[in-house]
Amino acid sequence: MDLISLLGKGMWAGFAALGFAILFNVPQRTLLIIWGLGAVGGLTKFLLLGLDVNIALSSLVGASLIGVLSVYAAHGKQAPPLVFSIPSVIPMVPGAFAYRMMLGLMELAGSTANSDNYLKTLAETTNNGLKALFILIAISAGVAIPMLVTRKDTFKRIKSSVEQE
Amino acid sequence: MDNTYTHIKETEAMLLNVGTLLMSSGASTGRVRTTVNRIADALGYNIELLITNRSLMLKVIDEETDHFVASLKRTSPHGVNFRVVSGISRMSWRVVEDNWNIQQINQEIDRLVALPHYPRFITLGAVALAGSSFCALFGGKGIELVVAFVATFAGMYVRQESLKKRFNPYVSIFFAAFAASILSGLSVKLGLGESPELAFATSVLFLVPGVPLINSFTDMIDGNVLNGIVRGIHGLIIAFAIALGLLCAKFLLNI
Repeated sequence: MDLISLLGKGMWAGFAALGFAILFNVPQRTLLIIWGLGAVGGLTKFLLLGLDVNIALSSLVGASLIGVLSVYAAHGKQAPPLVFSIPSVIPMVPGAFAYRMMLGLMELAGSTANSDNYLKTLAETTNNGLKALFILIAISAGVAIPMLVTRKDTFKRIKSSVEQE
Repeated sequence: MDNTYTHIKETEAMLLNVGTLLMSSGASTGRVRTTVNRIADALGYNIELLITNRSLMLKVIDEETDHFVASLKRTSPHGVNFRVVSGISRMSWRVVEDNWNIQQINQEIDRLVALPHYPRFITLGAVALAGSSFCALFGGKGIELVVAFVATFAGMYVRQESLKKRFNPYVSIFFAAFAASILSGLSVKLGLGESPELAFATSVLFLVPGVPLINSFTDMIDGNVLNGIVRGIHGLIIAFAIALGLLCAKFLLNI
């Protein structure tokens, strides 16, 4: 995959994240970081996709990267990690797959069960729906797990205990 | 004794306020619990907390006298506001570190609630930009990006207006999805650009229920399964409302 189009996708992912950040009314000091996290996550996902990695796995890696980085950003900018991570992963939502699944379901509902096309549409719809579902799970897990791992000892406490030692 | 009683009462009201604000602004159940516990700890009270999606139940216990106050508060459906989540989280640390009293906390809460949102046209523009970014991510170029921008802008405007007119939130989302897909569907009808169906598919993506779905998963693996299910169903209904809007536009335009 050529570098320019990859960087372009990263940039667009950043802008999509920024739009959602403003919609969710995040503090102004976090906007630039959210753009960066969205871009890094998008870049990682599209880079892996270019290397023929499964789309759910690429989303998981991209989202986990965002999740981990947002814990660090949370400490630096004094805002909870979810303020950074949720807008940043939204560009990865499987909108296109969900859309195709919906179209497929509608087609299935409108046609008779023994027509030739039925099985083909059924297979495509199942495939798109499962992809959408697994990407969604991968994204939520990627964002949620770094937050849960660090929540028991919030980042602030981890750092102060390190300083005391 | 009267003094302790009023103090517990005030603490109770303040903690419920913090909890419901966090819940309606889009924090996960775990975060609501930690934050409320942290503030109560700092003020020297034991608490028991029941968190559901639409209401909070709290019991504040004074250890010395064994008095307690318990009450319920409804969570008002305000929509996601991360400025409040972030502000309350910061405040909770200052309560612990600088020993704030209830008056200081209440003042800070009032300040946070009064904080301005982004100006309306900036929000509309940013969301529309996100719409055309989605289109670019799925491979759209040139005129398709413009179509996605305009359709998303209009859809978001319709959503804000219908929320203002106090329509049911799901119905507002249906209206927004319908408006956005009618506009982008027209470009398919007119055959603008190379692949106008990309703009059609991406113009409703600004409505995706990202916060409910991610919070649903966070809640479930955190052990708050019931809250997670409720949030998941909420996200699912939003997805259905989007699909319905898209479908209506598709049938009306016959594409």
